[in-house]
Amino acid sequence: MTVQADPRPPYPTRGVAGPTNPLGMAVFLATDVVTFTLLLVAHVYLRRTSVGPGQGALSVGQELWFSLLLWASSGMLVLADRLSRGGNRQAGWLYLLTALMGAGFLAGQGLEYAHLASQGLAVDRNLFFTGFYTLTGLHGLHILAGLPMLVALGTLALRGGLTAKRAGAQAALSLYWHFVDAVWVVLFLVLYLWKGP
Amino acid sequence: MSAVTRTAAPPSALWKVLASTDHKSIGLTYLGVGALFFLLGGVEALFMRTQLAVPNNTFLLPQTYNAVFTLHGTTMIFLAVMPMLFGFSNYLLPLQIGAREVAFPRLNAFSLWITVFGGLLMYLSAFVGLPNAGWFSYAPLSERPFSMSLGQDFWAVSLLLVGVGSSLTALNLLVTTLRYRAPGMALRQLPLFTWMVFVNSVIILFAIPALNAALLMLEVDRALHGLFFSGAGTVGGGSAVLWQHYFWLFGHPEVYIMILPAWGIISEVIPTFSRKPIFGYDFVAGSTVAIAFLSFAVYAHHMFAVGLGWPVNLAFSASTMIIAIPTGIKVFNWVATLWKGSIRLTVPMMYAIAFLVQFTLGGVSGVSFAALPLDWETTDSYYVVAHFHYVLMGGTLFALLSGLHFYFPKMVGRMMSDTLGKVSFWFTVLGFNGVFLVQHALGFMGMPRRVYTYPDLPGWGALNLISSLSAGVLALGLTLTLWNIVRSWRHGQIAGDNPWRAWTLEWWASSPPAEHNFTALPPIRSRRPLWDLYHPDDADYNRPRRHDKENGAIRPEESDHA
Repeated sequence: MTVQADPRPPYPTRGVAGPTNPLGMAVFLATDVVTFTLLLVAHVYLRRTSVGPGQGALSVGQELWFSLLLWASSGMLVLADRLSRGGNRQAGWLYLLTALMGAGFLAGQGLEYAHLASQGLAVDRNLFFTGFYTLTGLHGLHILAGLPMLVALGTLALRGGLTAKRAGAQAALSLYWHFVDAVWVVLFLVLYLWKGP
Repeated sequence: MSAVTRTAAPPSALWKVLASTDHKSIGLTYLGVGALFFLLGGVEALFMRTQLAVPNNTFLLPQTYNAVFTLHGTTMIFLAVMPMLFGFSNYLLPLQIGAREVAFPRLNAFSLWITVFGGLLMYLSAFVGLPNAGWFSYAPLSERPFSMSLGQDFWAVSLLLVGVGSSLTALNLLVTTLRYRAPGMALRQLPLFTWMVFVNSVIILFAIPALNAALLMLEVDRALHGLFFSGAGTVGGGSAVLWQHYFWLFGHPEVYIMILPAWGIISEVIPTFSRKPIFGYDFVAGSTVAIAFLSFAVYAHHMFAVGLGWPVNLAFSASTMIIAIPTGIKVFNWVATLWKGSIRLTVPMMYAIAFLVQFTLGGVSGVSFAALPLDWETTDSYYVVAHFHYVLMGGTLFALLSGLHFYFPKMVGRMMSDTLGKVSFWFTVLGFNGVFLVQHALGFMGMPRRVYTYPDLPGWGALNLISSLSAGVLALGLTLTLWNIVRSWRHGQIAGDNPWRAWTLEWWASSPPAEHNFTALPPIRSRRPLWDLYHPDDADYNRPRRHDKENGAIRPEESDHA
């Protein structure tokens, strides 16, 4: 018995149901949620028995300004995306500005670390600071990883390289940056404001 | 200036493998890498069995023995079994859903190579002192000052790298399944292997981050003198039990990560060689989802000896009993698929049936741990060793061997030798049961695991000798399988596209599949598109329920294997 296949045209390989990149990024960020949650739970659990200086040693006022800078960068990114969707190359400057604001936040974190270190408050000082540095360090690494990607996106936009083909990657990066900023909302609340259980 | 004509040399075969982003090439490389590490882990096992063959043996130093069992466990789980499962997943999932590629081919190559580098890093620790705190590296043993060697840090970083590879592979497979299914293939029509890999991806994506968090905390402790797990019990000290919580929050789902794709292979092999569709597809598929949730809800049954308190122990005891139900449902479905089927005992089918028996035995001993008094009595004994080897070796490895013989014709285009396959099957099955069946008894007789030697107590020497000698038989069986692969690669019978008369899309592609898998697809209107194609008068979409009352099973014309 010979049976022939349905002679339809070759099956399309791409774009069956929307871009894949933002979906992939969303899945990746879900794993990040688990990591951050577990580290946060560990910190909250362990800091109850921490001995010595803790939240009181942090510079809340100064960190709030740098935090506002980071959250404002999310707003800047929204504007950049909007402008870029309209086909405006000048959106590239806004992407670069977003990166600059992120870098500013990192500088603020550096100041905070230096200030703490000058008081002898390092990772090994007590349970509060072990968790504090682990959480803020991991978050800072996320920002650091985002910077070159934002710069690349900005440069591409200025050169007119943000074609429809790159829309998926662009959307994925936005998702990443907004997520990292949102994580900082939680970290700022728990590390800087909440007095703990 | 004269024009220079450049002719690029054709890329060598090795370069093709190294630079490939093709899911089939990556899948095969995963299988090869996994097999190499399996060989390493196997040699380590033989070292252990040699040391334990007789009482008071001095073949290995205590410290060396600790390093060997640490490497054996870590290698088998992260560098052998998971890569081999990813090999099958990578190779088969796009084919089964009628796609040309995975969603992110370059990411796929990245996952493969970061896994390979992670594996190399693990073994590079030989130069700085091997890790020897066990595969679950309990704190504070894994902390300074108890493990001063850098090898422990190599271990942690290696697992972080491998974990990144695993997570990204899972991400890739998940997105591929969601986005790249052929027209007409609903989620509920996925072949069961793809369904299991799909659900498994979700488990991986939620479990691996728990390990990553734990490893990160461990490294903060070791490298930066953090306090997460150290100084437990002192004022301002961390919590060693916290490591156990996070590790097993990863570690128990990990057990299911290693068995779900294996169930998928079994769910493809048993129907094919019974000439029946799987019995109760919805229950097999649904129970997998139940297990995905429950796998996280049972983790603290690894910690019954910690003293977590009655409410906690009872809750995890109950959840452990509950997870046996969806697992049992699967076993019943496979048996019901065999029932009144037209069974042909090919090599893949023999491995699948051995899987059924051994996995069930491992499952029964597994659920016995839910009874707290029994767990307390047998924890850290050889009974535990016997249990998880029945599940992971008697289960997963046998499923992998079944899959190897089943899919080799598709991957290579040639059949594996049937005679050699059957001979090696019997060596493997006898060897495996010889090694581990007696270990149940040793455990009940009180022999603890992770000891480099033991006193000459009544019966211990004899049972250990049986176990060690059987390890040789097992090694012989597996070596014969390796020989079968090597020989059949060049000299096997030409297989043709669908040598087993199976019904899913991977058998529609040529053997081995063309670079872009398909040029055309049959219409997909049920779970068995190729059955429908060859039997338009009796298609599945007209008669979906084939386990009907009057025949109890199948009609005569369906029993045709040829």
